[in-house]
Amino acid sequence: MSISRREALLGTLATPFVARGALAQRAAREVRVGFTQDALTLDPANHRNRETQTVIRNIHDGLMARTPDMAIVPEIAESFRTIDAATYEMTIRQGIRFHSGDMLTVEDVKFTLDRLTRPNAMGGATSPRRDLLGPLEETTIVDARTVRLRLSQPWAPMLGIIPAQEVVNRRHVERVGQEGMQTRPDGCGPFRLVEWRRGEAVIMERFAEYYGGAPEIPPAGPAQVDRVIFRVLPENASRVAALLAGEVDIINDLPPSAMRQVEASRNAQVMRVNGTRTFFVAMNVAKPPFNDVRVRRALNHALDKAPIIARVLAGTATSLRGVMSPDSFAFNPDLPEYRFDLERARALLAEAGVAQGTELVIDTTGATREIAEAIAALLSRTGLRVRTQMWEGAVIGPMWQNPERRRERDMYLTSWGNASLDPSDIMLPTLRTGGRGNHSGYSNPEVDRLLDTAEVEPNQDRRRDMYRQAQRIVSEEAPWIFLWLPQDLYGVSRRIEGWRPQADSRINLHRVRIAG
Amino acid sequence: MSAARLVERLIQLPLVLFGVSVVVFLMMTLTPGDPVEIMLADQRATEEQAQALRRDLGLDRPLPERYLIFVGNALTGDFGVSFFHRRPVFDVISERLPATIELTLVALLIAVAVAVPLGVAAAVKRDSWLDRALTAAALFGVSLPGFWFGILLILLFAVQLGWFPVGGRIPFDAEVPWVSGFLLVDTLLAGRPDAFLRALSHLALPAITLGLPAAALLARVIRSSMSEVLAADYVLFAEAKGLPRRRVLFLHALKNALIPAVTVLAIEAGSLLGGSMIVETVFGWPGLGRVVVEGIFARNYPLVQAAVLLYAVIYVTLNFGADLLYAALNPKVRL
Repeated sequence: MSISRREALLGTLATPFVARGALAQRAAREVRVGFTQDALTLDPANHRNRETQTVIRNIHDGLMARTPDMAIVPEIAESFRTIDAATYEMTIRQGIRFHSGDMLTVEDVKFTLDRLTRPNAMGGATSPRRDLLGPLEETTIVDARTVRLRLSQPWAPMLGIIPAQEVVNRRHVERVGQEGMQTRPDGCGPFRLVEWRRGEAVIMERFAEYYGGAPEIPPAGPAQVDRVIFRVLPENASRVAALLAGEVDIINDLPPSAMRQVEASRNAQVMRVNGTRTFFVAMNVAKPPFNDVRVRRALNHALDKAPIIARVLAGTATSLRGVMSPDSFAFNPDLPEYRFDLERARALLAEAGVAQGTELVIDTTGATREIAEAIAALLSRTGLRVRTQMWEGAVIGPMWQNPERRRERDMYLTSWGNASLDPSDIMLPTLRTGGRGNHSGYSNPEVDRLLDTAEVEPNQDRRRDMYRQAQRIVSEEAPWIFLWLPQDLYGVSRRIEGWRPQADSRINLHRVRIAG
Repeated sequence: MSAARLVERLIQLPLVLFGVSVVVFLMMTLTPGDPVEIMLADQRATEEQAQALRRDLGLDRPLPERYLIFVGNALTGDFGVSFFHRRPVFDVISERLPATIELTLVALLIAVAVAVPLGVAAAVKRDSWLDRALTAAALFGVSLPGFWFGILLILLFAVQLGWFPVGGRIPFDAEVPWVSGFLLVDTLLAGRPDAFLRALSHLALPAITLGLPAAALLARVIRSSMSEVLAADYVLFAEAKGLPRRRVLFLHALKNALIPAVTVLAIEAGSLLGGSMIVETVFGWPGLGRVVVEGIFARNYPLVQAAVLLYAVIYVTLNFGADLLYAALNPKVRL
């Protein structure tokens, strides 16, 4: 092979900077994640942020965990049982060691839950996660292996929320204080912190004395790689570039527009999973013409979702007939479909007395502008004049939450996350009368009753039936134009094995291996 | 510069900062959007719980009281607690600031290193093909959107050629003790020239992205001031005396041609600090700009207020420094 003088010169100049050896420079068994956001803190009790929890969950374990299929299984707890509708008991696994060498005890479990739920329990401050644990009132130690959780009232979603809380070491908290907990975690998870380079990366190494994690998520045992790094790359194009350059192995939030590029590269692939965020257009049911159910049904009939999913979302969404994800235990597969039928939509609008040319506005944010415009264009085929209005996220949310301020608004293209996949976390806020996310202002006493009863019903089958009934009523009354559930997309290097994305967007690296 | 003038300029500084503090406070707090609602988003929380959080963050107090608390605390160096990081704002800013300053300084160096020779060459070869090419290149450089140029550099030099890393400050296996926070300094202090070179390779693409458009503007300024100077009598005289061309250009002409460039450079340094927000996002550079952008979207009042105040201090100080330098370079200028 011959090279020109110019190439030789360029090569010489570049030699000190060469990152060509990026792969070779790594520790032999190292996995890097190109991640959209840095952790806000490494204290499991001091945040309400999904990305922060994704990082923390590799350092800390929880009493319970979720499998990649979102089933709830014991992790630090050996077993979990219901004593009565408001009391639960957990047996704690023995022989678990924190990274500092301290043994995990029931005192640590009680301390963790008290720290999360008691006012001022964090050096005078209250954990921002307190609300997540609902009516958990007291944690008591029954014996050296057992703790009991008592709620002030029955609360069915309790089990679903436990996997999102991580256990901390009481003695460590006493040693380092609240301030120290932000940056110096002492978890009992598969990896221990090596260094947190703020805004740049969280570097962790394998904890050789790891107890193995949830036995129901095989293989149990210490992690299979020596080092993992969460590297912060907020910009989509840079994250994709880092994957293609082999600098990172897994990237989250892969933009659909980059799917083809990743698939075309020899060393990476696209992985996808149904997300947990339901998209919908909330119609202001207090305002004409949306106070007429025929209008709301007409708009559901008028919207042909297929071309939007295919073109705007590059086929990366699952069409929904209602609120719930198909992955939820309470998903109702028998909901009637508002088939795309423009004639029927026009007839319903005429029946409701809505004049042709009536102007309607869809509010949304810049992030969903394209979708809103596509929806507006398709709805306008009914003869209505639908247009869009863009808002900043920080402005539009509070506006639509307030019945007074949304009084003159028509429609709101928005979404609601449901990471626990429990209807309680999505139906209650968005569809119960007065709910925080009930942008439509929807109110139905029967739906309220079903949601309230299901909230305290300990029997999961009975809960499912109630939620299914509620979904049917909501579907018939159509306070929303039901849209879809986007898939979460990941770019994954082909050298990675033993990992697949999961619906709650956690990136647990405990079982990851390097191929070959 | 007289001592009285200097004192006067110094007295102006706190007044400017007071003005900035009022404007930033009002802009942040009067912009619609509620940090608590953003923080809770669609998580489980009742209205009472949202109110409790609002109380915790001090957002339930009247605006004037909040401003007085902010200013009172700021005077003692306490900028409050970042809503989202739940740590003192001072800590968040001080651990991010060195990365931004380092990037800005290297970008400035690149800007000067590129702009001075090109500006001089264009002035000397006025109306030649070189001048025209440089003018076109400068126009192109000034118009380059930072995020686009940055991504282009990444695709070419990191993905295709593999010469530079995509982002970050230093490789993960190179750890040096934090002394100044400036990695180029810390790596040398630690006696690690290898780590220095690798830190430099991480810095190269973001600094070029930030520095080249600045160089374009600066080159234009130097070209026009150099052209003026070259037409001046004293240059003609120097040439007539038979001084070597190089000596005339660099000793006689350039020193005077650089005077307007100094002011532009000071202003550029300020805008580079601001411009780094986008470049930091593209390159995953852990600087202050990125945190401020995130803070603005999340209505993280304490963080944004403190950071903008800091930007104002830097900007005002730079301009003050430029004035001093201007006076030093040109004895005709009296502040």
